Amino acid sequence: MHEIKIAEELSVIVVDKAREAGLSVVESVNISFGQLVQVVPDIFEFAFREAVRDTVAAEAALNIEIIPLEMKCLSCGADYNPAENCSSCSKCGALEITVVHGKELFIKSIEGE
Amino acid sequence: MEIKIMKNILDRNQNKADEVRNLLAEKKVKMVNIISSPGAGKTTLLERTCEALGGKIRIGIIEGDVTTDRDAQRLKKYDIPIVVINTEGGCHLDSHSISKVIGMFDLDTLDILFVENVGNLICPSVFDLGENFKLAVVSTAEGDDKPAKYPRLFSEAGAVVLNKTDLLPYTNFNVDAFIKDLSAINPRVPLFRISATKGDGLPDWIEWLEYQIKSSPAG
Repeated sequence: MHEIKIAEELSVIVVDKAREAGLSVVESVNISFGQLVQVVPDIFEFAFREAVRDTVAAEAALNIEIIPLEMKCLSCGADYNPAENCSSCSKCGALEITVVHGKELFIKSIEGE
Repeated sequence: MEIKIMKNILDRNQNKADEVRNLLAEKKVKMVNIISSPGAGKTTLLERTCEALGGKIRIGIIEGDVTTDRDAQRLKKYDIPIVVINTEGGCHLDSHSISKVIGMFDLDTLDILFVENVGNLICPSVFDLGENFKLAVVSTAEGDDKPAKYPRLFSEAGAVVLNKTDLLPYTNFNVDAFIKDLSAINPRVPLFRISATKGDGLPDWIEWLEYQIKSSPAG
């Protein structure tokens, strides 16, 4: 249920940014989650609704983009999407690999008037 | 009107974790964030670790638990500073909860601070506490599929303990399958096969941990 804490943090950012920009209503909130964060979109949506209740973002649409896992091989430099979770480099088989995408927890933008 | 933000949603947690990390580095105290399912043996591992290192290494413990101070009670006998954080239903610790209690320790008198996180394999792995490394503990009774099912934790872990190896004959845990999945996610992570109750495999863990404590503050 890390969704609740993440939703609370998101609501703080959304309300702050809306105030800074002078928005009276936030129509949409656009966020990206990496696959490895294992956020369940339905639970997150529920937690977000609770977090933004009685704020300028109470009616905002929540657009969640899930970013698939992408690895980089530190040996041959190849970028690849592993078949299941992470794995050794699909090009050269090296074990020196790193996660390029998949751990994101990003708010990209908000839209409103 | 669109307002571009491009910001980590957990920025506040990250900033506070960085504060904790800087403070500990300044005080030359290592922090280990111990993460496992409930019942994998985090507290028993801490008991054995305190027994092995007590007198040689100055240990402090933050006990994260949903409720009760039962784990802390088990560790009281080692006469080390322990602070309990009850999350009252919360499924993980975050850096703000650590920051609030860290002042209760005299950091000048510590070498290492263990944080026993709330038993849970998903949520704690998302929240940086300011640790030097995460220790993932998994027990043979849970099944060998944990690295495949919880890749975030196992891909980030600085060390993995496979506990309850004494129970292997009574489970269908496949050690080779476990190692294969773990290696695919985190190829170079040190793995310690331990029975915390029987003592098997503990010396390797203790020796490695001592080395980590004595290595550079940034390590």
